[in-house]
Amino acid sequence: MTAARRAVNHFRQVEWILLIIALLIPLLDQVLYATGLGAWTIGNDVCQRVLIFTLLALGLNVIVGYAGLLHLGVAAFMAIGVYAYAILSCDIYPFRIGFWGALVAAPLICALAGLILGSPTLRLRGDYLAIVTLGFGEIVQDVLKNLDNITKGTQGINPLPPPSFFGHALNQSVYQPWYYLFLGFVVLAVIAVKNLENSRLGRQWVAIREDELAATCMGINPVRVKLKAFAITAAVCGLAGVLYASKLETTAEPTSYDFNVSITVLCILIVGGTGSLRGVLMGSAMVMGFDIILKKITEALQAAGLTASGNVILTPSNWKYLLFGLALVLMMRFRPEGIFPSSRIREELHAGEGDGIEAT
Amino acid sequence: MNVLDIRSVTKRFGGLVAVNKLDLSVAPGQIVSVIGPNGAGKTTVFNVITGVYEPDGGELRFLDGDLRRPFNQDTVLGIVGVGVVTGIALMITLHLESLWDATIVQNYVYQQSFPWGKAAGDFFAFLGAHGTSSTLSFLAGALLGSAAAFLGWARQRRSPDTIAARGICRTFQNLRLFPMMTVLENVLTGMDVHLHSRIFGMLVRSPGFRREEGIARDDGMKLLEFVGLASRANQLAGSLPYGDQRRLEIARALATKPKLLLLDEPAAGMNPAETVDLMKLIDRIRQTGVTVLLIEHDMKVVMGISDRITVLNYGTRIAEGTPAEVRANPQVIEAYLGKEDVG
Repeated sequence: MTAARRAVNHFRQVEWILLIIALLIPLLDQVLYATGLGAWTIGNDVCQRVLIFTLLALGLNVIVGYAGLLHLGVAAFMAIGVYAYAILSCDIYPFRIGFWGALVAAPLICALAGLILGSPTLRLRGDYLAIVTLGFGEIVQDVLKNLDNITKGTQGINPLPPPSFFGHALNQSVYQPWYYLFLGFVVLAVIAVKNLENSRLGRQWVAIREDELAATCMGINPVRVKLKAFAITAAVCGLAGVLYASKLETTAEPTSYDFNVSITVLCILIVGGTGSLRGVLMGSAMVMGFDIILKKITEALQAAGLTASGNVILTPSNWKYLLFGLALVLMMRFRPEGIFPSSRIREELHAGEGDGIEAT
Repeated sequence: MNVLDIRSVTKRFGGLVAVNKLDLSVAPGQIVSVIGPNGAGKTTVFNVITGVYEPDGGELRFLDGDLRRPFNQDTVLGIVGVGVVTGIALMITLHLESLWDATIVQNYVYQQSFPWGKAAGDFFAFLGAHGTSSTLSFLAGALLGSAAAFLGWARQRRSPDTIAARGICRTFQNLRLFPMMTVLENVLTGMDVHLHSRIFGMLVRSPGFRREEGIARDDGMKLLEFVGLASRANQLAGSLPYGDQRRLEIARALATKPKLLLLDEPAAGMNPAETVDLMKLIDRIRQTGVTVLLIEHDMKVVMGISDRITVLNYGTRIAEGTPAEVRANPQVIEAYLGKEDVG
C-alpha cells in the first residue's frame, strides 16, 4: 500500500482539518435536527455549492495557478460536461449510457473541447487569451440555447439518471450519500492534481510560467504543455458539471453556466491563493461557505418574521456580491497572493519583472 | 563532418543588419569562440542558431542535416490527416441539426432499443442527398484545417524546442534560470526532453513514473556534482550567488544531453578564481564529447581554451583562426583598440 501512503502524505494539516470538517457537516445537520433547532440541511447546500465549486476551482487552478494562463471560461466546460452527461444518459436520447458511463465520457469530451479551443489560441498571451476564453464561454451558452433540436434550448434536459450503487439509485430526499460521493470526488481530484503538480508535467508548467523562452530553449514545447493544462482543466470542470447536474436531475437552462460562475471560481482562487491546493480548498470553503451563511441568516430572519422577502435591503443574501466585492478589494490591497499562497507564486509576485531577450 | 555549419547567414532588425553573411564552422570536439566588441552581433548569432530568431537568409546545417525539421512523408500525412478531420468536423457542424433529426430523432422511439445500423445508413443517406453542400463544406474544412496545420508545422520547424531536442542547447548572457525552482528542479527541467512518462502515469504515480523520476534525480545530482553544486541541490536557484547561477545554467543545458553547447558569456561577473574554475569546467565538458561554441569577453578565457576563434564586428566576420593567428590580426586589433592615428 505504498501508493496509498504516498497519497496520504501529500495531505498537509490544513487539508486534513478541512476534510474532517467536511466529513462532519452532515452530522451537524443531524445534531441540529435532534436538538430541535430545525432542519437546516447545511450539508445539502455545501454539497451543491461548496463541493462543486471546489472541483471547479481545482480545475481552474491547473491552468491559472500552475501554467499561469488567465482563463475566464470554466463555466463553458462545466456546461459542456453537463450537456454531454445529459445527452448521453437521458432516456429521451438513444445513448442511455447511465451516470457512470457519462462520468467517464463527459470529462473526455470536455478535454477534447479544451484541446479544440486551445490549439488555435494558445499562442496568444495574457489578456488576449483571457478574452478568447471569455468569448468561448459566451459562445457555448448561445449554442446550447439555440441548438433547440438537440439541447431542448432553454427548457433544459431532464430527468437525468441519478448515480446508482449496485442497482440502488441515490434518492433526492436524502442528501448524505450525494454529499459523500461528491466529497470523494473532491478528494480524488485533490490527490490527482497534487500528483501532477509534483511530476514532470508540474515542472514543465512552472518552467513555462517563470520563463517561457528559457523553458523552450531547454526543449519544452510550450504549446503542448499549455494544451495539457487546458485539457485537464476542462476535464475536471466537466466532472464537476456531471456531478452538479446529477444532483439537480436536470441540466437547468444554459444561462445558469454564465460568466458569473467563471468569475466566482476565479475569485475563489484569488482569495485562497492561486497555485496552492490548500488555498483553493480554503478559498472555496470561505467564498461559498459565506454565501451559504448569508442564505441561512436570511431564512432565519424571515422565519422569525423580522424581515419580509420583499425587503431587498434587509435581506442578507442580497448583500452577497457587495460583501464579496469588498472582500476582494481588501484582499488585493493587503494580501494579493491570497490567504494560503504557494510559496513559489508569492516569491514571483514580489520579485521584479524579468527582462527580455538580449540582442548584442 | 562538422557539428555546425553556418553559411552566409544574415539577420536584420529593420534597417540594422545584426549579422551579415556570416560563415562559421564548428568541428566536433572543439571549443570555438566568437568574440567582438559590444553590439557586434554575437548573441544574435546564438539566437539564430537556437531558433529564437528566424534568419533572413543563409543556411544552417547541424551534423550534415538541415537544422530545420525535414519535410517528409510524416509531415504530409499529418497535414492531410488534420485536413480530413477538420473537413468532416465542419461538414457535420454545418448540418448538425438536420443530421441529428435524420439519424437520431427519426429513428428513436422513446425507451425502445435504437437501430444503430439504420441510423448510420440514414447518416450517409442524408449526406448523399445533400451532396453539394456536404462536399463543399468538407472541402472548405479540409482546406482550412490543412492550411492551419501547415502553418503550425512551419512555425515549429525551427522553434527552440525542436532544436534543443536535436542536441543544441544554450545558456543565456543575462541568466535565465527558473529562480523559484530549486537547483535540482532546474536541472530536471533541462532533462525533460529525455523523460517519457505520460499523463496517466503521473496522475496515479505509476511505478514506471517513479522509477524514471528516481533515475532522473540521480542523473541530476551527478550533473550537479560535475559542476560542483551538489551541496546546494535543494536551494532555490534565485538565491544562489552569481557565479553558481552561471554554473547551474551550464548544468541545466548539459542536462538536455546536447551535442553542441552554446555558452553566452559564461565568465561575465565572475571573479578571477571562479573564472579559472570555469575554464577547467569547460575543458571537462569538452572531454565528455560535447562540442562548445563560446561567446566571451574575457580574453584570458578565450585565448586559454579556444581551438578556433571567429571575430565579429558590425555583424561581419573580420577574422577567423587559431588564437595566435587572431591575436596577430591587424583588423582585430583595430576593431578592439581603434585605428592607429598616424601623424
